[in-house]
Amino acid sequence: MTHLTPDELIDAVDGVLAGERSAHLAACEECRAQLDDLSAVLNDARQVAVPEPSPLFWQHLSARVNEGIESEPAGAWPGWLRWQVLLPLGAAAMVILGLMMAVPKQDPRIASAAYEDAVVEPGPAADDNWGVVATLVGDLDLDTAAATGVIGPGVADRAVLALTAEEQLELTRLLQAELARAKS
Amino acid sequence: MTHDSALAFRPWAAAIVTPIDDAAEKALRDLDDVALATAAAAGSRDAFDIIVERHRRAVYQVCFRFMNNHEDASDLAQDAFVRAWRGLKNFKGQAALSTWLYRIAVNTCLNKVSTKRPATEPIESTEQMADLAIEGAQQQMLREERAAAVRKAIAGLPEKQRATLILRTYHDMSHQQIADTLGSSVGAVKANFFHALNNLKKALRTEP
Repeated sequence: MTHLTPDELIDAVDGVLAGERSAHLAACEECRAQLDDLSAVLNDARQVAVPEPSPLFWQHLSARVNEGIESEPAGAWPGWLRWQVLLPLGAAAMVILGLMMAVPKQDPRIASAAYEDAVVEPGPAADDNWGVVATLVGDLDLDTAAATGVIGPGVADRAVLALTAEEQLELTRLLQAELARAKS
Repeated sequence: MTHDSALAFRPWAAAIVTPIDDAAEKALRDLDDVALATAAAAGSRDAFDIIVERHRRAVYQVCFRFMNNHEDASDLAQDAFVRAWRGLKNFKGQAALSTWLYRIAVNTCLNKVSTKRPATEPIESTEQMADLAIEGAQQQMLREERAAAVRKAIAGLPEKQRATLILRTYHDMSHQQIADTLGSSVGAVKANFFHALNNLKKALRTEP
């Protein structure tokens, strides 16, 4: 019969070795010597206590834990996700969301034809769409937003570049319609 | 039990998140670990203070056995409790709070030892302790020297073997609990324990 495996020797140390293998252990001097060695060193290890620190240490540890917690940044947000990042991202997301909601769902061919018309004469739908965007953005113009740090430099450019070709087309149409209305 | 369900069954837990008077503190002290963890997860620093008070010795001892010196052990124990505070919402109450805290302490130590070899406590300090012994000073000194040698040998074991030996020998954790703590299998834990004991035996043989 084969000698005890490391797993079985640990089971033997724990006193849970299966019956058949226990019979081998009883008969095998080599395995018994190995078990005795392991048990002896484990016993040595068990005798070793951790040196007791000063009685004052425990209060000191509690105080240090409290200090550590106090110095934790508030909230569970990751360190890099601060308001300086969140605000411009949120503002850009609002604009994009507003534009996406404002874009009428229609056939691209119709949209293309509407673009031609819109340059000349903005329809009532365009006003409604701008209304949605204006409500979302409020009185904040791009310069003010950039100056106050709400929108970082290049955020609007990146937001426009993130639009699909169709959305960019619609944005152009809306802007031209607004320009035409401002001129009149 | 999850925290949400714990809060549902223990509505008082949400009510004890504000600073407390003596009577409320006594009431907190009477709570079991799961209830305290629930209250702490809801924001009660007083509940967490009691958790720290109950478990600081055991957590410190895990860290000491890992690092074999007081300075690192106290730093790591502090770090482990701060991590525990941060992670309380992840404590599901499926394991004992002490087991969960050991897991955090072990992982904190493993992170530390991956960047730093454990230092050893100077023998002088144990010699000083021997002077205080009731039994004969010489016998006590020999015992302390042996203990220092064993601690040094344990501190020199590879990380997983050291963690396994510490949790099994000094914290009576089952192989399964150790496997859960270290993120390994029961077979790997038994193998690590076997090799830890063998390496410890070899290291102690070379000691003068």
